[in-house]
Amino acid sequence: MERIFEALFKFRPLLFREGDLTFATPWPMALLVLGAAVIAVLAVATYGTARGRSSPGDRTVLATLRLAALGILTFCLMQPTLILSSTVAQRNFVGILVDDSRSMTLPGEDGRPRSVTATETFGADSELVEALSERFALRYFRFSGDAGRVPGPEAMGFDGTRTDLVSALDRAREELSSVPLSGLVVLSDGADNGGRALAEAMVPLQAASVPVFTVGLGEETLDPDIQVGEVELPRTALQGSALVVDILVSHRGYRGRRVPVVVEDGGRILVEDSVTLESDGEPAVARVRFSLDEAGPRRIRVRVPAQDGEAVVQNNVREVSVEVKARRQKILYFEGEPRYELKFLRRAIADDPNVQVVVLQRTADNKYLRLDVDGPDELVDGFPDTREELFAYQGLILGSVEASFFTSDQLRMIADFVSVRGGGLLALGGRNALAEGGYGGTAVDEVLPVVLEEPAPDPRRAYTEMKVGPTPAGASHPAAQLRTEDATPDSLWAALPPLSTLNRIVRVKPGATSLLAGDAGDEQRVVLAHQRYGRGKALAFAVQDSWMWQMHADVPLDDPSHEILWQQILRWLVEGVPDQVELRAERDAVEPGERVRITAEVLDSTYLAINDASVVASVTAPDGSVEQLVMEWTVDEDGLYAAEVQPTFAGSWTVDVSAASEGAIVGSGVLHVDAGPSDAEYFDAGRRTAVLERLAEDTGGRFYTPETVSSLPEDLQFTGGGVTLTEERDLWDMPILFLLLLGLVGAEWGYRRMRGLV
Amino acid sequence: MRPFPTLLAVAAVAASGVIVARTAPRPSTGTDVARAPTTPALGEVPRGFFAPPSDLRLPDSPQDPLPEVREFFFTRAAYTSGGRGGWGGFGRRGQSWRTDYPKADRQFMVVLKRLTNLDGYDYENAILLDDPNLRRFPFLYALEVGYMALTEPEIEGLRSYLEAGGFLVIDDFWGLQQWRNFQYNMARVLPGREIVDLPMDHPLFSAFYDIEEVRQTPAIGRGVGGRPTWEGGEDTRVPMVRGIFDDEGRLMVVINWNTDLGDAWEHAENPFYPLEYSTYAYQVGVNMVVYGMSH
Repeated sequence: MERIFEALFKFRPLLFREGDLTFATPWPMALLVLGAAVIAVLAVATYGTARGRSSPGDRTVLATLRLAALGILTFCLMQPTLILSSTVAQRNFVGILVDDSRSMTLPGEDGRPRSVTATETFGADSELVEALSERFALRYFRFSGDAGRVPGPEAMGFDGTRTDLVSALDRAREELSSVPLSGLVVLSDGADNGGRALAEAMVPLQAASVPVFTVGLGEETLDPDIQVGEVELPRTALQGSALVVDILVSHRGYRGRRVPVVVEDGGRILVEDSVTLESDGEPAVARVRFSLDEAGPRRIRVRVPAQDGEAVVQNNVREVSVEVKARRQKILYFEGEPRYELKFLRRAIADDPNVQVVVLQRTADNKYLRLDVDGPDELVDGFPDTREELFAYQGLILGSVEASFFTSDQLRMIADFVSVRGGGLLALGGRNALAEGGYGGTAVDEVLPVVLEEPAPDPRRAYTEMKVGPTPAGASHPAAQLRTEDATPDSLWAALPPLSTLNRIVRVKPGATSLLAGDAGDEQRVVLAHQRYGRGKALAFAVQDSWMWQMHADVPLDDPSHEILWQQILRWLVEGVPDQVELRAERDAVEPGERVRITAEVLDSTYLAINDASVVASVTAPDGSVEQLVMEWTVDEDGLYAAEVQPTFAGSWTVDVSAASEGAIVGSGVLHVDAGPSDAEYFDAGRRTAVLERLAEDTGGRFYTPETVSSLPEDLQFTGGGVTLTEERDLWDMPILFLLLLGLVGAEWGYRRMRGLV
Repeated sequence: MRPFPTLLAVAAVAASGVIVARTAPRPSTGTDVARAPTTPALGEVPRGFFAPPSDLRLPDSPQDPLPEVREFFFTRAAYTSGGRGGWGGFGRRGQSWRTDYPKADRQFMVVLKRLTNLDGYDYENAILLDDPNLRRFPFLYALEVGYMALTEPEIEGLRSYLEAGGFLVIDDFWGLQQWRNFQYNMARVLPGREIVDLPMDHPLFSAFYDIEEVRQTPAIGRGVGGRPTWEGGEDTRVPMVRGIFDDEGRLMVVINWNTDLGDAWEHAENPFYPLEYSTYAYQVGVNMVVYGMSH
């Protein structure tokens, strides 16, 4: 289409878009228009007064055709000219960024590796580079996880394990900022996995008026292929926690095939399942359950064995890092009266080495029973009345205790325990709990995931028995499981006896999720629900006798449902609860030699940010050598300290961070960074045309494929920045004008012949 | 120890005349509700598990209109006794579980609810050991076990109850002969489980009141006027609190031997029953309930 346009209009559409139309005639424009008008009037008059065989209609047609021809001639006489801003030859630079990542070794549209296409198209001897070199000074950059200058694409190995397009654009722009830059050319498949938003790089490019011309390599879809999707695992998990993970398997070309899904930890198979593949591009979901029993940094590997004929086999394996913690999370259970729920909850988690439930039970007015406290002073004055004391726990369970027991500051403190400290709150049902406990409208009400209805005038009359089962969300939620290794079959839930409640809960708040529901006959009740609130999470378990699932005669003695449910609820409640020193790595797996930013959030015992802490990171290499790094306050965020770590060789690198303030230790933390080659490049390795098109359009550049890239030199010449001069291009000799003129004259002649007027 | 609240509560019981054995008669439903299905359909009130079955219920036994909502039931084990097997076989054939029933149960509940903030059922709740509904009541009281002669279904029922997490309190049996009968029966329920003395630093003795010594609580008519507090020979002189633990070290059974807590509860309002003993008995009882509901 573009070629036809160029043949008719002499130039490509781009030049018309970029240029301004003007008329270069030396005669005054008014004179020309006047002359044209006179000729037109004469012509019309001549046709109007002519007599003979012609009818008035014939004369109108002939006059129109003649006038049109005269108009074209007048237009040509006015010397139409295109004014273009053209880069000055050999005064400007063009940066050519070539993707050096492994995905470039995958086959392109012609079956050859994308890297070969790139090398051939932009190699030193190619026509394109020759054309570009005539006008521009070329600078080559390679990019994958990092970016750097290279003499040309021939010098690249195409073995980068990551593609960070944003950093590469930043690097090239900065490096060429001191020279007149006409534009940047990016050769890539567009499969960016650097983790940064493209806009980060586009804004400075737009500000500097640097257009980016993108050349997309490879096919948009790989066929046939199977790919394991992102695996969502918590960053940290308590040792022995049962995890429920949905694994997405997408494919092309294997419809109807049943493929195995294997989850491994250090070569040991944790669980094996299978999934049937649906239509092309439609992901199938395998839900697997497993527990992590070994403490320390674990690398969990999810894989689908390679199928025959697959285009890419590397994207059949995903690896995810999980920090399995052997620590004991401390939960405060405050119960307002003697209740069996407390007894059986304690028994259920007694064997759990990772959860410590400290009990404060009000057995009479102003009389408390303390159980499993760490020392004689713990909770000696009853429920904590300072943030420091309460925030020492990771979780808080509120039993049947009325809201009026607490001061308003304590209620606010409980809400802050969730939102500020990031702790987990579990509100149980009971005669003095939830709405019946007067929590409606309090600070705690805001935190709860459920809507508190009007309290029943007599809670005893609100007694309701419910058959309890999981909601669709609960079926895959770790906090609503009765078994750890296998899926909880519906028959297990069905076999459990009904539970009772005094608290009518029928709605969850917007954003909250119901995990267990109760069939109360005339309506569905919410039994277990959760929501995130601020930094923490809140759960409501609105029954009063879950212990029936342990004691009831219908429940076999060896049935572990009650124990597992409570272990799962409490572990989920305190999993991922932040400490005073909380570490994060920009990425948990890097290439050897690649730098990774580590941040530490440092908070005091009331979880307020500390900006004057002394924060030191000890980086232990796989060979045991230790390097000390001082982490500096980032200034732009309170309590956040950062440092860069560079794992120089493959293996697991340990970063121990210790923070001190005013001479006292605030806290410490540890994280691990895995250094080694990554297969990230092979995921979603089809060409991302949309990304490349957007990058080009938003910066004023253009998107090409290898077939269309030959127009790049000219496009750069007229759309690029740098040192430019104004260039005029005549338009009077456009073939379209000649053809139109010819057509109009020919049409007039033909009409006369047809009407017998010749 | 904090004797005054207990004393006050006991005195209040006496003053208020909560002498429950002679309350106004209330018609019985006559339904054998204790053997009703374990999961009755909604709306089928009354449910079976909260009231004694017809053969155990007293004709004048009042009932809470909404019993199922209560958290705690003072549940008394109704078991077979006398003559059949083991070391039993003398006196009070077949009815030893009824001793002090239901007055002791009701008076204990009055004091328990006054001393703690427990949501308790006000009346007695006797249940057969072979009733599946037994497992709905994790606290169980049994006395006069010196005459116990458990049947096989009762053994099965009690064993499953204890293994599931039930808590059994034994009271009011005296001397070695009765001990051997009880020991024989418990060995059938929990074979291989040892019975051990509970040291005074066991949490049972500090769950609510700090109890510093095990005292002998006499039956009515004893411990006053120069009469001894024990009943029988030399082997009844020393009161003991013993226990049976499960594999996890959790206390399943508390055994009060050579003492009669039930009589102290039952006769707390009697001016001839020494207040110091009933005070002590209530304190021990409260501790056992609070401990049994939290451990």
